[in-house]
Amino acid sequence: MIDVHKHFGGVRAVNGVSFTLDRGRIYGLIGPNGSGKTTLFNCITGLERLDAGRVLLEGRRVEGLRPWQIARRGVGRTFQVIRVFPELTALENLLVVTTGPHAVAQARARELLAFVKLEGLAGEYAGNLSYGQQKLVEFVRMLMRDPSLILLDEPAAGVNRTLLNDLLDAVRRLREQGKTVLLVEHDMKVVMGLCETVFVLDHGEKIAEGPPGVIQSDERVIEAYFGR
Amino acid sequence: MKRLAVGVLVVALLALAVYPMLGTGYGTRSVLQIFMWIALAGSWNIISGLTGYVSFGHVAFFGAGAYTAGILIASSGWSWPLAALAGGVAAAVLALGIGVPCLRLKGPYFAIAMLGLNEVLRALVSYFEGLTGGGNGLSLPTLDATVPVYYAMGLTAVAVTVGARLIIGSRFGLRLMTIREDEVAAEALGIPTFRHKLLAFLLSAIGPGIAGALTARDQGYIEPLSVFPLATTITMIVMTLFGGKGTVWGPVLGAAVLFVAQELVWARYPYVHPLLFGAIIVAVVLVMPRGVLGLFQSKYRLPRTI
Repeated sequence: MIDVHKHFGGVRAVNGVSFTLDRGRIYGLIGPNGSGKTTLFNCITGLERLDAGRVLLEGRRVEGLRPWQIARRGVGRTFQVIRVFPELTALENLLVVTTGPHAVAQARARELLAFVKLEGLAGEYAGNLSYGQQKLVEFVRMLMRDPSLILLDEPAAGVNRTLLNDLLDAVRRLREQGKTVLLVEHDMKVVMGLCETVFVLDHGEKIAEGPPGVIQSDERVIEAYFGR
Repeated sequence: MKRLAVGVLVVALLALAVYPMLGTGYGTRSVLQIFMWIALAGSWNIISGLTGYVSFGHVAFFGAGAYTAGILIASSGWSWPLAALAGGVAAAVLALGIGVPCLRLKGPYFAIAMLGLNEVLRALVSYFEGLTGGGNGLSLPTLDATVPVYYAMGLTAVAVTVGARLIIGSRFGLRLMTIREDEVAAEALGIPTFRHKLLAFLLSAIGPGIAGALTARDQGYIEPLSVFPLATTITMIVMTLFGGKGTVWGPVLGAAVLFVAQELVWARYPYVHPLLFGAIIVAVVLVMPRGVLGLFQSKYRLPRTI
């Protein structure tokens, strides 16, 4: 359950957006540039403090907690601009996430790299990997903590078809494991093919919510994207 | 290869252990100085080389250790080894007090705050004359302890280097590096970055605190200007950058090479030796921003615990 207000000076970046996510489903978050999608992600993950409203995770309030605390409550995210640790190897990028026995972390990290077919590049510095490979490292790194809510900020941007299909398969498998996914995406094919429910933001407000097919023909949505 | 490295290391340590019995007084004092620089540069490397939070006032911990030990020895009659440990503890406590507000600052703001801390400490020491002797300085009871201090400083340098090896080889060390690489991403992954920075900062203060205390004992006299000079911070930074920040042996290499170079140049051309240091800073930044070992590390794919 999320109900968020966030202002920057006089700009109401997110203005009273509220929605509820059910476990084990994939949700899409769309809207024109500057409509507040990433800001909403930042509010949920604690990178931005809310001006009003609240964020409930399985009934417990998490707004106001530090980002690392929210991550430990089971929220994982990726970023619009890739944020791997370039001078750490692919394997180390994953290893740093968890505490606990080293052998367990090693096994989990290698398993996740294999999940996205990157086991051969485990020892390579993340900064030397291609854009798509870095994207995959960032994706599985977020899974190290086994989050129950996964936020993906434009997973399809700048990724080739083959890689994209791998990534989408991975997302579907995560849903089968009972994880909830919320993704921001501009590629409508991805949104329509993957999401069961879509939220549409415009100027920081939610203007529509529903199955992708319905959303596509919603007048307010068309207006937001193309103007009147 | 690894065996060879360990062999060289053991021989080097043995040679350094017997050196005071064979070498000249000048030689012993010089090696003692190198030990001190290894302890300082190696400690700076823990906070700044790993987390990327550049401490521009690290000499503050050196000065705090020097004055803590100086006062304990001169006024309370403590034995110097005990006073040296107290210097380390005092520096760590100071780091805790400074770190809590300052490590919330980002990048350049932290660097400036640390610079300010050093000036504040120097002013405070000058002001509280009753305790510190103020600008007149503080004299310690006469004692020729150069050789024992040599061993104590050597032990401190070894401890700092072993500590760096353990940290850099651990996941704790890797997490410190994630702060340097991308602090926001680290937080979003569930890494409590503030706690990590604070612990690294605290650990990085102990070595300089002990080194300052030992230096106070060795020189027998300290004053605000001699134990809080900005130049000492700059020197430890340059040594670490030259050898390779974020590596185990970089600060050791930087301390040894630059100290010897400095002595040679200083003896022959006393007026240009600041120029040499300036030139090294520029050269390092331009030619090998990751330092000598950093260059080797990426070129020959060496482990990061080099």
